[in-house]
This record gives sequence, structure tokens and C-alpha cells, in this order.
Amino acid sequence: MSEVLCVDQLRKFYGKKFPALTGVSFKVQANEIFALIGPNGAGKTTTLRVIATILTPTSGQITVLGQRLDREADKIREHISYLPEEAGAYKNLTGLNYLKFMAELYTADRSKQRAYVETATEIFGLKDRLKEKIGTYSKGMTRKILLARTMMTEPKLAILDEPTSGLDVLNAMEIRELIKKKAETGMAVLLSSHNMLEIEHLSHRVAVMDHGIIHEIGTPAGLKEKYGAKNLEEVFAEVVKCGNSMCY
Amino acid sequence: MRKFYVLLKKEIRELLTPQIFAPMLVMVLVFVFIGKVLDSENKRTGGTQRIAVIDQDNSSLSSRALERLTAENFLVERYTGADLNSLISQTKDTTGRAYAYAYARSILIIPRGFEDELMNCAQQNLEAYSVIKDFSVSAAFSSGVLKEATAVIEDFVITELIERDLPMVSTEILKNPLTVNDHVIINNRSAAIDPEAVMAFVTSQTTYIPIVLFLVIIFAAQIIVTAIANEKEHKTLETLLTVPINRSALVAAKMVAAGLMALVIALIYLLEFRYYMHGVTGGVGGGEFLDDRLINALYGLGLVLKPVDYVLQGLSIFLGILSALAIAFVLGSLAEDIKSAQGLITPLVFLVMVPYFLVLFLDLNAISPVIKTILYAIPFTHPFMAAPNLLLNDYHTVIWGIVYETCFFMVFVFIATKLFASDRVLTMKLRLRRRS
Repeated sequence: MSEVLCVDQLRKFYGKKFPALTGVSFKVQANEIFALIGPNGAGKTTTLRVIATILTPTSGQITVLGQRLDREADKIREHISYLPEEAGAYKNLTGLNYLKFMAELYTADRSKQRAYVETATEIFGLKDRLKEKIGTYSKGMTRKILLARTMMTEPKLAILDEPTSGLDVLNAMEIRELIKKKAETGMAVLLSSHNMLEIEHLSHRVAVMDHGIIHEIGTPAGLKEKYGAKNLEEVFAEVVKCGNSMCY
Repeated sequence: MRKFYVLLKKEIRELLTPQIFAPMLVMVLVFVFIGKVLDSENKRTGGTQRIAVIDQDNSSLSSRALERLTAENFLVERYTGADLNSLISQTKDTTGRAYAYAYARSILIIPRGFEDELMNCAQQNLEAYSVIKDFSVSAAFSSGVLKEATAVIEDFVITELIERDLPMVSTEILKNPLTVNDHVIINNRSAAIDPEAVMAFVTSQTTYIPIVLFLVIIFAAQIIVTAIANEKEHKTLETLLTVPINRSALVAAKMVAAGLMALVIALIYLLEFRYYMHGVTGGVGGGEFLDDRLINALYGLGLVLKPVDYVLQGLSIFLGILSALAIAFVLGSLAEDIKSAQGLITPLVFLVMVPYFLVLFLDLNAISPVIKTILYAIPFTHPFMAAPNLLLNDYHTVIWGIVYETCFFMVFVFIATKLFASDRVLTMKLRLRRRS
């Protein structure tokens, strides 16, 4: 497996006094689904935002496909795709026009644009609804079209912040299957979620974060074994508890 | 009823936000500031009831007529030896006495033989010269000073004629002992015309430009601030910032879109106002109904915009709108949502309102250097001043203004691009909140 993402001693401060990340390091390979879990304010979203090139790191180094983020952010953006947790879409555009607009931002090649939109349409599923304005979509449908937009360009690295948030059980299952399928085709997926069950079944490796630092990295099975836990939820509780009482 | 009060309390609490109160507070401060400046400038120049009188007659009657003027609260500067040209073009008279700027705005000439001719019951002509150096409200007001002054003198003369009980005096002379010949002087060019007609024409040609510009700037700024706030509120900005496009393209696209909208709105407003002004003035100032005398006077005074003037004026207005957009862009970056965006536009409103009102009321050439510097540092002063300055052939000030507006715009575009190239566009608000 080839390395897609390497994060080394990433630190991010908001202002001078508020540390959001205090030395985060991990790697993500192609074909791999890597999950960040942690309590609210642990630094998961900040980590994803820095890798997605919208926040500037205070220190540390990030490389995507061997390209340094601090030097070649523009090139990196061609290979990544980011789905923010509370992302919205342009409500006055129809679903189809939104997908076309986003496709045009990625490539000037018309045939590629069409291919992107076709891929997204396939992921979205509800072809007829694409002609309607996004403002008329339900929360779940909006999330699905955003996910379709994220995946349509076949990025080398997909960064998904709470990908199934707001979706019903069936839609969430569908999305999880899609993520798995994309990873099998070579895509590296970095995601964060509060849903431990989802993480356990979806991810190849998991990093447990708290207070801006990663406390544990491992496969779900390996972490469960290490902590003698029945599920990832117990691992998470144990690691966070230990982190708060300064076990490390 | 109790539930109504619970709801009412909640609604009031929702409305009592800094976003609602800050703009109102700033508006109050703007008007207090404008009022203070106008008041101090009026005190500094000593009001507008000033008049310079060239008393060629230098008689007992003319002296007493001027004393009457003084008694009627006119500030009279009497010159017995000076002629009109020296009063306009020189700064000091033969004795080294300074000609105050304000005196030279309203000049009255009492002709030689004024007393003798009147006592022989012959109607006398007074020459009234209005020196127009700007087209502000204060200038329009000062043009009325001469009318009031001549009315006082005429009243005095009538009383004198009645009191002296001259045998040859006719009723007509008693009714109208004086005729007043109005003249206007602009840039050392003179025309025999009523200054109020000139001011009315210029006002009809220039007033609507600042009003339209004022509306367009506020409207365009609101468009762009709302556009950015909308992207932030609906979380579409985060996605846009991760797609492979140049950040400066993001800034440029938003600015050009808002600029084009502003241009369309400006054109619509201009047409509306032209139509409105035509309706208000009944066509006066529109060109087609002007009488030949006024047209000749306007040409004689050089009060006609040439094609190059329209280009310069358009450029100044366009750059003013662009500067507003650039400022609005930076302010919009601070917005967290649409509600907070409305409050953030307040500094821009302040920057537009202050020059708008001060330019409207004051002659910028006569105000204190500090206020003048502050006003010229605000980019919107220049488009407001462009039309009057071009009519006065003051190209230096207009071109300097265009250069300044260009620099101002470029600096703010640079700041906006830097903001979008960094993560400040997303974190600036966060930082402010944490600090507070």
C-alpha cells in the first residue's frame, strides 16, 4: 500500500493562547479508511480542516502524495475532496446545476465534467430530484448530494467529517457501503465520527484523540484486545478517561 | 396573557443585540459629528452674512446705507479705493489689509454719483457680484446674501427720499429707487445672470449623483457582505476553499459580480433620478427649457461638462463603488452570519455619510485643514466632489482623487485576497470571540 497522507507533529493554535492541536501524527495509506474519534473539542475537525487546506498549521508537516501542504496547497487541492460536518449547498441551484458547477471547478475538460456529474448522479440515486432546487431537499438528501459531490472527482484522499450525520439508518448504511467500495478502488479515506459502531465496522484503523493529541492508534480489533473491551465505545471511554487522568 | 408576555420578553431579548444597536449608535454619532463639524466651520467662517462693498460714491448716503447694513447684522467690509478685479484676484488691499475669503463671495458696487443722482430723483443701478467658488449649500446660501443686502439698502434709500421730502420725486422712484444688476463670477469669468439661476442649474445637474452614489455604495456593499456571510452561514465557503481554484479568483469573482450589479443599479437609479429631477424642476436644468440668456451665461462661465469630464466623473464614481466593495469584502470576512453582516456594514455607512453631508453643506476649500485632510482620506469624498470640481475646471483635484481611489481600492483588494489566502477568513471571528 502506498502512503497518501502523512501528518507529522501537527500543531494548531487559535491566536497565541488557545491550542487546538498539540502534536498530531499519523499516516493514511491508499485503500485505507482511517478514522479519528474523540470527544467534542478533541481537535478532530481542526485536524481535518488543516489537511483540507482551509486552516494553516502553526507547526508540523503534512504531505499528501509526497507534496508538502505548506508549499503546494494548490496542487494538493486537485487530489483531495472535503466534506465538512455541517456543509451546505447553494439552495437556489438545482441539484444538477450544483454538481455541474462543482465539476467545472475541478476540470475544464467537458467530457470529464460529464463523467463527474454521472458518477455523482449514480451516488445520489434520486435522478429525478436533481432537477429540483436544493432548497427543497430534506437534510438527508442534502447530505447525500454533498457526499456525491465529494466522491465524484475520485479524489486520492477523501476527507469526511461525520459523513453520515443527519442520515437515516438506510441512507447511512448506503453511504458506508459507498465509502468501503471507494476505498477498495484505491481511495484513501480520512473520516471522523461520533458513531462508534460505524467506525468499528467501517474503519481499517482508528485514532483516539483528546485535548488536541492522539492517544491511541490501531485497528478496531487490536484496540479492543489491548483494552479488554467489548466494543470501540468502551475503548474510547477508557482512553479518554486515561487521557484526562494523565495516564500518558 | 402570561404566555403573550413570555413571548414578548423573548422577542425583545432577540432584538436587543449589539448588531441592532451598533448601527443606530453609529448613526447618532455620525450626525453628532457632522453637526459639530458644520457648527465649528460656521463659527470659524463667522456665518455667511458677509458682504464686501466697493463704495465708489463714498458719500454720506452710501456710508449711512452701509451703517444700516451693519445694523441689520451684515458684516460689511467697505472698500473705497479698490476695484472689482483687485478684490477678486488679490489677497491684500493697498494698505496691506487682508481680503477675507468670505468677503469676496458677495460683492456690491455702489456707483459714483449714487447720492447726487438719487437726490435728483434718478434711479440708480447697483452691481451685485456673486463669486461662486463651490456649489455647496453654504455657497447657495451666500448667493442670497446680496439680495437681502440690496433690499435693506433700498429700504433705507426709500426712507431717506421720503424723509427729505424732495419736490421732484415720483411715485415710481419712491417704489423702486434702485435696480440691481446681478453678475456671477466663476474662475475669473463673469456673466450677467442671477446667481440663483446658476446654482439651480448646477444643483439640478450634480445633486442626484451623490444621492445615487450613496444608495449604490450602500446597496453594493450589502450585496457583497451578505454574499460572504451567506457562504459562511450555509457552510459553503469551507467547500469552496478546498477546491482547486486560486483564492484571488474567489475574491475577484465576488467583487466583479457585485460590481456589475452595482453598475446596473446605478444606471437604473440615474435614469430614475433624471426623470424625477425633470419632474421636480419642470424641465429647468434639463437643457431643453433653458432660456438663451442662461445658456449663454453658462457657456460664458464655463459651466458645461465636456466629454472628458464625463469620463473622469464616471471613473471617479466607478472607483468609489469598487472601493466600497473592497471595504465591504474585508468587513464581510468578519461576519459570522447574515445577521451580524448587517451590523458590520456600519463603518462603511459612516464613511459614506460623513463626506456626503459635509460635501453637501460645506465648501471644502474653506474648511480647516484637519477636517479637509480627513475628508480627502475618505475615498467617497472624491466621487461626491467630482462633478462640482469638473464644472469649476479643477482637474488637479479630480485626477488626484482618481489616483487616490485607485490606490485605496488596490490596498483593500490586497487585504481581502490575503484574508482569503489565509485561514483568517474562517478564524477571525473565532479569535475575536475568544479574546472577548
